[in-house]
Amino acid sequence: MTEPLFWIAPIAAIIALVFACLFFIGMTRKDEGTELMQKIGRHIREGAMAYLRQQYRVMALVFGAFTIVFAILAYGLEVQNSWLPVTFVFGGFFSALAGYFGMQTATRASTRTTAAARNSLGEALQVSFRSGAVMGLAVVGLGLGNVTFWFMLADYLIPGEGGQRMVLITTTVLTFGMGASLQALFARVGGGIFTKAADVGADLVGKVEAGIPEDDPRNPATIADNVGDNVGDVAGMGADLFESYCGSILAACALGAAAYIHDPAMQIKAVVAPMVIAGVGILLSILGVYLVKTEEGATQKDLLKSLGRGINASAVMILIASFFVMLLLGVPNPFGLWGAVVAGLVTGLVVGHATEYYTSPSYKPTRYIASQAVGGPATTIIAGFGTGMMSTAIPVLAISIGTLMAFLCASGFDMSQMNQGLYGVSIAAVGMLSTLGITLASDAYGPIADNAGGNAEMSGLEPEVRKRTDALDSLGNTTAATGKGFAIGSAALTALALIASYIEVIRIEMIKSGQTVMDLGHGMSVETSQATLQDFMSHYQITLLNPIVLIAIFIGSMVACVFSGLTVQAVGNAAALMVEEVRRQFSDDPGILKGTSEPDYARCVEISTIGAQKEMILPSLIAASAPILTSIILGVPGVIGLLVGGLATGFMLAVFLSNSGGAWDNAKKYVEEGNHGGKNSSAHRASVIGDTVGDPFKDTAGPSLNILIKLMSIMAIIMAGVSVSFSFF
Amino acid sequence: MTEKYLYLSLIPQGLISSMLNPHEFGSYYSVGSKAHIRSQAMFFEIDPNFRSDDFPFHLIDERCVPHADGSPRRSVYLSIYQVLRQIPISALKSLYLVTEDGRTLELQQGTYEKHLDNHLRLYQEFCPVTPMVASNYEPKELVKFITDPKQPVHVPRIVFSQLEIGELADDPENGSAEDLPYPAMLHLRDILSSLKRKPEKGSRMFLKQVKHGVFYRMVKGGFYVGDQKDFAFYPFPSLEELESTHRNWWRSAQILSFQ
Repeated sequence: MTEPLFWIAPIAAIIALVFACLFFIGMTRKDEGTELMQKIGRHIREGAMAYLRQQYRVMALVFGAFTIVFAILAYGLEVQNSWLPVTFVFGGFFSALAGYFGMQTATRASTRTTAAARNSLGEALQVSFRSGAVMGLAVVGLGLGNVTFWFMLADYLIPGEGGQRMVLITTTVLTFGMGASLQALFARVGGGIFTKAADVGADLVGKVEAGIPEDDPRNPATIADNVGDNVGDVAGMGADLFESYCGSILAACALGAAAYIHDPAMQIKAVVAPMVIAGVGILLSILGVYLVKTEEGATQKDLLKSLGRGINASAVMILIASFFVMLLLGVPNPFGLWGAVVAGLVTGLVVGHATEYYTSPSYKPTRYIASQAVGGPATTIIAGFGTGMMSTAIPVLAISIGTLMAFLCASGFDMSQMNQGLYGVSIAAVGMLSTLGITLASDAYGPIADNAGGNAEMSGLEPEVRKRTDALDSLGNTTAATGKGFAIGSAALTALALIASYIEVIRIEMIKSGQTVMDLGHGMSVETSQATLQDFMSHYQITLLNPIVLIAIFIGSMVACVFSGLTVQAVGNAAALMVEEVRRQFSDDPGILKGTSEPDYARCVEISTIGAQKEMILPSLIAASAPILTSIILGVPGVIGLLVGGLATGFMLAVFLSNSGGAWDNAKKYVEEGNHGGKNSSAHRASVIGDTVGDPFKDTAGPSLNILIKLMSIMAIIMAGVSVSFSFF
Repeated sequence: MTEKYLYLSLIPQGLISSMLNPHEFGSYYSVGSKAHIRSQAMFFEIDPNFRSDDFPFHLIDERCVPHADGSPRRSVYLSIYQVLRQIPISALKSLYLVTEDGRTLELQQGTYEKHLDNHLRLYQEFCPVTPMVASNYEPKELVKFITDPKQPVHVPRIVFSQLEIGELADDPENGSAEDLPYPAMLHLRDILSSLKRKPEKGSRMFLKQVKHGVFYRMVKGGFYVGDQKDFAFYPFPSLEELESTHRNWWRSAQILSFQ
């Protein structure tokens, strides 16, 4: 590798994995608490692993089938990148591995967090947060490690010279994203259905029918509920962000290679820059993890401040460091590209804070929903819908402004410099995700703290301990909300970068299929290898006046809506199975409710796992088949339309669903704090109904849309060869 | 010989003999032997030596015996309907409050200190009638008033608790009612206001029947039972004590009922 700064990336990836191991070992050496605490922890760990085993079994089949299809396309029909069958498997494997590490850590850490909470709040925060950091660092370490590994391998194996070679290398490495994307689909959609099926099922029979409180060990579904927290917010969130993280870096590399195709010296710098920024981000995230600590007697505000200190300090340090990275690398327009990094980071912060504003009980929107609960369930639902819809404004504007600023900064405020501008947009996505090591730590911390609270409750620990775990749990709820916003924002920006890089893959596939000259109409033509983005738009007639594009935009929007509907209904169906099982157990063994016999927790985990896997088939098929069919039937203009429609509607729906669900949840908590009649009042009843409606919104359909918009983009990239060779239009 | 207990159920009224101890009986009485039902319950343990001609106590020896398989007899009803009036307060031991999922809290008799002030009050009556009543009377005065045979409307003996009304106790028109879970808040304000304007009125009925069971989180002071001669007070634990010592019961007691 001719660019010495490149080595920061693989070294940082290794350091991330080393620190992940150190934090893991440090956590395992902590006290596990009493026998009962360990027993509860064991139940959750076994449940989580049972879920993963089942998911991996199904995944192995699906990955096997896809690999065969990709192998036929690549080696038989030669319309596919020959690396794909291999990179695809690796992408899926390493994403799953990161999730596995995260789950192993989180399920071990919750018991130790509870045990640490017996000593002090600071110790409990440290155990839980550093355990969350294992997930964060595993994701960035494995993600960047793989990206750099495949880049180096492709650089070594792909022959040739000049700018075209680097475009080929980067678009080849881009195929790694496909495996990560498909694995994310399983983790996010399947995990989302599992977690809410368990939660809703546990609540419906436990609280509503049997009148037993949350986290009560008599509820057979309570362990599944705790397992679900890990499945959704550790494995699901981890896979989602692994995909975004890798996707944004890979897309930036591909767009960097395309933007400077005529200047190989600058091209390599542009390709290396996103990896170096990501590497520096990892190192500074590790530093940030050490800044998260608190003292005994800390208030909720102190805890939030402590977490904010780590994340904000990392962000500021990355801002400064990335400036020097740009200067040292000697990239063209270093100030402009640094501006793109700033745009990405600021957009991430704005989207995160907007999510907090719309979902936190400290602010007006959630309090408004709570006030509407006085009027009953209908007004609560209406208020939640309205608030959720309005909550799309800030994130959409932030992403729009961030994208525009990144484009303008990177293109030197010259709108005609499309390649440089789009490279800037992808650099913004990398900038936003550069703090992932620590932001994902704060996300994964949530379920650890939540499970720690559940463990303290089930173990009947003294009030002081529960007070500490409650404080940690409450903090986890806030980080979960902002984390969701961050995941949605980064998914949107990553998908945008992937759509932009789609054209580069089309270029490669056209050249490969012998279409070396591109017809631009009116008797004009251009060499495909030299064609600009505008040339591609002309060749494929990608304009809003082309009915194919318009039709595909509609179809893309429809896919997002149908996908959301199916995932919401999937929760209802899977929860019904859980309800049936819990009722059966209560009915068959009266001793369960009396506390004299132990419920069959494993059976509930199994029911939820099978239900989730079954229910995710249809939405997954739609997500995967829409870009394939569009590629074949409507061709390149259709794919662009599909992706634009899917991204615009999917992003909007994701924000709406996540924020309305979060707001309903916290409106209920606000009422429970003693507002509008407090607990047991009619407003409380209405707010509980709102919360139940919002459950599949915020934890299943909303997060699943992140995957949909990225999966459709990456699937379109993968099918580019098919689109070029076989499409009807 | 297995111990036998005597219980006075308040919701609904009944005198029951059982071989189950109060906690086991509470669980059984609330969720049934197969846990297929759920309901709140409230009962007194009665002095086992209490006897009166009003009840067929001989049934205790005859019927309250173990089942053929050796399992304890869970309940033998000695009487239903108008039971409270026939059992003197002196025979009452602890009061047991049972949540819908069968968790039982024992309240022991405590010393009552009269609080004479001008605050307005809200009471939830449990036996023999079940309305919610707003009043100027403090608990002991309310007992005297409501069990006074000279009054056109009276009961022989009564069990009730006082409920928290926050700022409405002093300012029914404008006081904050944010944390009050009661239905028909405007009606409550009207009634309390009228009591404030006309203190001589004493008491006014707020709700004829309470559908939501016992508002445990609003209980102020504790539970009372009394008549013209006797009065007993069962102090309710403080929030700190509920959170620490009686955590499981307290969590169950706060579960929202959708029934």
